[in-house]
Amino acid sequence: MKKVATPEYDIKDKLKYHVSALSTAAKEVVMPLNITTHYPRERRKWPDCFRGYILFDPERCISCFECSFVCPANAIWMKEAPSGRYYPTLDYGKCIFCHFCVDSCPGGALRSTKIHDVAYKNMDEMFTHTEEMIEPPEIIREDEGYVEYEIDKEDLTLKRTKGKDKLIVDVAPSQGVPMVSLCIDRGSCIACKVCEKVCESGAVSSLLDEAKMIIKMKIDSEKCTGCGLCVKECSMQILRLVRRE
Amino acid sequence: MEEYKNANMRIINSGPLAPFRKWASKWSLWPCHFITSCCGVELAHAFAAGYDGERLGTLNMGISRQSNYIIIEGTITRKMARALQFVWGQMPDPKFVNVIGACGERGGIFWNSYNITHPSDIVPVDFFIPGCPITPEALLRGVRATQDKIVGIDRKTIEFKRVELPFEKQLEERMVPTSPKLFAPTPLIKVDVKREVDWGKELEDNLKNKLEGLYESITITGKSSIAIKTTQENLKEVAQKLREQMKLDHVKSVNVIEVPHERKFIVEYIISSYTEEELMPVLVTVFVEIGLKDPKIESLTSIWESANYSEREMHEFFGVLFDGNKGMGKKFILAPDTPDLPLRKEFKIPEERYVFEKDMPLDELMVPIEPPKDLYIPISEEFIEEAYDNDEIVVPIGPHHAGSGHLRVTFRIKGDIIVEAIPEPGFVHRSMEKLAENRLYIQNVPLFERLAINDPVNMNLGYVRTLENALGIEVPERAQYLRTIMAELSRIEAFYYDSGIFSLFFGHTTGFMYSMAIREMVIEVLMGMTGSRSGPSFLVPGGIRRDISDDVLKLTDNLTFAIHKRMKKFEDIFVYNPVTIARAKGVGVLTKADAIRCGIVGPFLRASGVNYDIRKIAPYEAYDKLDWEVTTGDDGDCLGRFLGRLAEIKESVRIIKQAVDAVRSIKGPILSADILGEYKEAASDIKGNFFRVFGNLVLPKGEWTTITEAGRGTLLFSIISDGESNVPYRVRVISPCWMNLRGFMEALKGARYADFWAVYGSFGYFPPEADR
Amino acid sequence: MIDINAVISMMMNNQVDIPLLQPLLKPMLEMPLVGYLIALVLWKPFFVLILMPGFATLGIMLLILPWIERKMVGRMQWRVGPREISPHTRGIIQLLADSLRFLFQEVIIHKDAHRSYFLQFPFLYFIPVLLPLLFINAGTAGNPLVPIVSDYGLQLMVALICLMPVFILGVGWASNNRFAFIGTVREAFLYFAYEIPFIIVVLAMIVLYGTSNTVGVVNAQSGVWWGIIQNPLAALTFFIAMVMATARLPFEIPEADQEVSFGPFVEYSGIAFGLAYVMGYEKMYVLSALMTMLFLGGGSGPVIPGLGELSYAIWFVLKTLIVLVVMANLRGVYPRYRLDQALKIGWGAMLILALVAVAWSLVMGVIL
Repeated sequence: MKKVATPEYDIKDKLKYHVSALSTAAKEVVMPLNITTHYPRERRKWPDCFRGYILFDPERCISCFECSFVCPANAIWMKEAPSGRYYPTLDYGKCIFCHFCVDSCPGGALRSTKIHDVAYKNMDEMFTHTEEMIEPPEIIREDEGYVEYEIDKEDLTLKRTKGKDKLIVDVAPSQGVPMVSLCIDRGSCIACKVCEKVCESGAVSSLLDEAKMIIKMKIDSEKCTGCGLCVKECSMQILRLVRRE
Repeated sequence: MEEYKNANMRIINSGPLAPFRKWASKWSLWPCHFITSCCGVELAHAFAAGYDGERLGTLNMGISRQSNYIIIEGTITRKMARALQFVWGQMPDPKFVNVIGACGERGGIFWNSYNITHPSDIVPVDFFIPGCPITPEALLRGVRATQDKIVGIDRKTIEFKRVELPFEKQLEERMVPTSPKLFAPTPLIKVDVKREVDWGKELEDNLKNKLEGLYESITITGKSSIAIKTTQENLKEVAQKLREQMKLDHVKSVNVIEVPHERKFIVEYIISSYTEEELMPVLVTVFVEIGLKDPKIESLTSIWESANYSEREMHEFFGVLFDGNKGMGKKFILAPDTPDLPLRKEFKIPEERYVFEKDMPLDELMVPIEPPKDLYIPISEEFIEEAYDNDEIVVPIGPHHAGSGHLRVTFRIKGDIIVEAIPEPGFVHRSMEKLAENRLYIQNVPLFERLAINDPVNMNLGYVRTLENALGIEVPERAQYLRTIMAELSRIEAFYYDSGIFSLFFGHTTGFMYSMAIREMVIEVLMGMTGSRSGPSFLVPGGIRRDISDDVLKLTDNLTFAIHKRMKKFEDIFVYNPVTIARAKGVGVLTKADAIRCGIVGPFLRASGVNYDIRKIAPYEAYDKLDWEVTTGDDGDCLGRFLGRLAEIKESVRIIKQAVDAVRSIKGPILSADILGEYKEAASDIKGNFFRVFGNLVLPKGEWTTITEAGRGTLLFSIISDGESNVPYRVRVISPCWMNLRGFMEALKGARYADFWAVYGSFGYFPPEADR
Repeated sequence: MIDINAVISMMMNNQVDIPLLQPLLKPMLEMPLVGYLIALVLWKPFFVLILMPGFATLGIMLLILPWIERKMVGRMQWRVGPREISPHTRGIIQLLADSLRFLFQEVIIHKDAHRSYFLQFPFLYFIPVLLPLLFINAGTAGNPLVPIVSDYGLQLMVALICLMPVFILGVGWASNNRFAFIGTVREAFLYFAYEIPFIIVVLAMIVLYGTSNTVGVVNAQSGVWWGIIQNPLAALTFFIAMVMATARLPFEIPEADQEVSFGPFVEYSGIAFGLAYVMGYEKMYVLSALMTMLFLGGGSGPVIPGLGELSYAIWFVLKTLIVLVVMANLRGVYPRYRLDQALKIGWGAMLILALVAVAWSLVMGVIL
């Protein structure tokens, strides 16, 4: 246990402290330890893992709704594309840049950029449709250089580099563990067809068995993207998401 | 709203002197210091040494009358909305408004809260800046956009390129998936679920002896937690006995759980001890069950003063009457137009939606909220009359006041001496407890982080640890160390934010700039780890989101050396400045007895002489494996509190140094295998599997209470789970600042008017953290 | 009937002598109207009062000084201060933009304020600011540059300076606001705390110099025997009193923006605030000028070749500027004292220091 006591300061101490305060100030006026980034003429270089505006790649999207489900701010709503599939839209009027969605995306369709300094004139513009999230947006760049904070064992120093910092990071899209949907108890199936209706990839099909007058469901594991929606919606809870072998 | 915006531009463009008007307005946008919520932290950075908004001619000015620009920082609650209206009205034309942070736009993470409003309904907003919290660069982009607007340049700051999606109809009518949230309709709620642990037999017997005939049951609910069920009639007597015979001297939390389908309320007090060493880590829950109709219970304020404000809060949220508490029937946190009894289950907040319906008008995205119409100042005529009769003056301070933050305190001043200080919190009450009840467990991680954006990792840690305790997950060693590093970095951040505000309160801008510069260094490191400046949301149950590279660890190690140089400068110019010492020494003294009575927490408690640090008494993460010391003091004055925290930060630097050394040699996963299940590949990076791993967490039935030592003291999370739903049944958060509010007001008594800012700064009172 | 020729010849006999401009001015002086004008401008009293170090210099100072303050304090604080408005000149015109913006902004007079006083006081404040400059001596020993030579010059200056807080009190009273009220009361308290040591210190210097004529004051500081060397205690006390009188940190108590939101000026907006805002700087300037005259040898300094008497005025302004910058930079070093602590300093340490300074002066007077 460490005790911190505040002693009585006598006149000598006070004078000493006056001198040290004044001399520190004087030193700083002469040789300042300046750390200012001159935004907008220059930008700070953020680390590559910086969480900024989000880009979307429809090729990799499996329409699993997970980004939308996990979003704490409910900023991601799925919108039906002309093809009938659901793709995310992003409302920057709500987005908190936690990137739970980016981390959730099993196909790696969402990725981060270092864009973050944007001002909107009205809130309607903040709603970003799927079509706008595919190509990197262009922002006003008034910067002629960028600043890096370098911390060594002595102090923080600013390293200034001419040229424009790249805001779109090239990282390989991450892939979640590949999964596939599997029915574990065919006998309990009531053929409500929910799984077929909810499937994005057309992997679930229903077959009417004329002889027995029952409907049989079938999951095509080749087509299945492992989005897990059928597992979630199954009214009998007999579907499981298992690892693709 | 549009016409106001146009009117401003008309003024600027009118007359033959228009070019001068434009030029002068462009380069002299003085924002009035109207801090409304946590984005104020980043505002501070934008105007501090790191970015220096003054370069652009934007000088932060205290008072509305002299400024022409408001930067609304995040959430505008119903209470704050009135202040906003008022402040905007006070400003001379032409004036401009920017909103920063998602909360001020469509509500951000608090979009369905019952207590927020939309600033765009209240004042004409010129620019909206996304982010939560925004970066200082984004804020300055907003300033630049406003400058451009003034001189008539109309350009978009972001231009999206539209790429048409392939148009082949592949799928026919499809069903839209339902919400991932599962609510059990009539769950069984039990606070005292018995658990077999190798602890507490003695205490149980002891309690049974002492409370003979007064209790209904005594159950051990986990390691160092025990629940006593009693009745309405016996409650006071039980409390009396616990206070006197067991030395359980303070209340950690007052909680009400409504169980409408069983037509009952469970009212619980979580108590603990600051004086008895063995009882320090123990949480004793005393609870009673009362009927849903006319709920009434005897207040325990006469026994534990520390329960006072929490009882008032619970009264306001649930309508339970705590008989004997003086604040009953009065508004405390909520505004007059907030819905009554908002935490009752029958009060529903808007549901999430997951699908954007075709051709939906965009203005439907917002939850409609009526803007307030009146100005609400809860100071009665009689109060003012009475004060004047006693030759005192009444001075209300805040929420718009250069030195108040988002808090209103009404003073009765006699001469220069404060006779009474009446706090009015709730200006940043974003209803986290209600929101948490409607979200998945994992979605609450960023939510609770917004308690204190300047101490984010500790807030994270508190919540995540509660989940881990409930699920019984061991965090891998590497993750433990990394979490310790981050938590300590966060503690340094919290301290330097508070010290910056402390120096600003004394008019010492240099101290503020130096503090923020040091924070900027810490943020650089934390950003390297997590990817976000102040809202990392990086801790998840079972570990952290991804492994941290050796480069960043090296940077962290360097920081522990480099930070001292600037810390020394800060101490020379501010901490040991004779004027600071004169202002802070012997001011706002809280004696040990008073501190315990008011239930002060954290470094402020230790400054009054109580050796209580949760990192030592109930070690978590890697704290017990590292060599560090608790700092205490005896003075209990402003200087003591401040120096105590400064010494603690130096210990934090030591902790970080050791932890970085240790973590370099520990290789292994950063996520526990228990939680990953079959997604074992995600053990070093959760990317791609986040929702599948965490989306469907369900906590075992019962109440899970965990205390964590955050930057400003004890952070208590109490989660009541029904064991079936994947959303919590009720979450109770007691943040350090909330507990400190009572002591803060106590320390003000007898101080001078100007001492308010010394006491305020020394307590590091951060309203968003207190109001939740 | 005023004899215009007599007036002109009076002015001609008392001209600021600038050798460099002499060849240029000579033909112009012979022209009818331009000649009169130049004669007037170079007439010593007019020159000192209106041009340098008087009104015009004050105006420029008001635009430059806050900029210097903001830049230097910014440097001290590891940042840059105003800049982007004119990057190449380091944002020197920042204050111009600020003042223009104030000028163009709406002036709000709230309904509880005393309308006429509310608007008049910031303007009337110029009276006690400008009048002391009537007695200022920007010259050097044997070469005075003073508008009015009076044997009671110092006393009159001090009396006028002591009048300034009355206007601040008026401003606070007219505002009719709680914070303005508290700030005003604070100003009133401080007023007595610094004014008495301030007056005693000036008294000490009068005793030391044996005269209260501003010409005599400067004459008594010939060579390196500046007042600050003859009586350093008095200079220190005067400086502290000055900081207190102008409500600069660490004594920024009446206007403490975190505590009382600019105190008396809380309700001011637009150009009215602009004027109220510069009130402090005006007072600083006048007091610094007084300090330069009393302690720093007035305009004494090496003659800049070709500038003649103008060089004294330049030295005087430079010294004043140095005092101002030192005073302004205290903002970066010190937090603010509490009112009671400041009063204690005023009525305690400073009063004692001032009395010791008087004793010192008496002793010095006996020795020398």
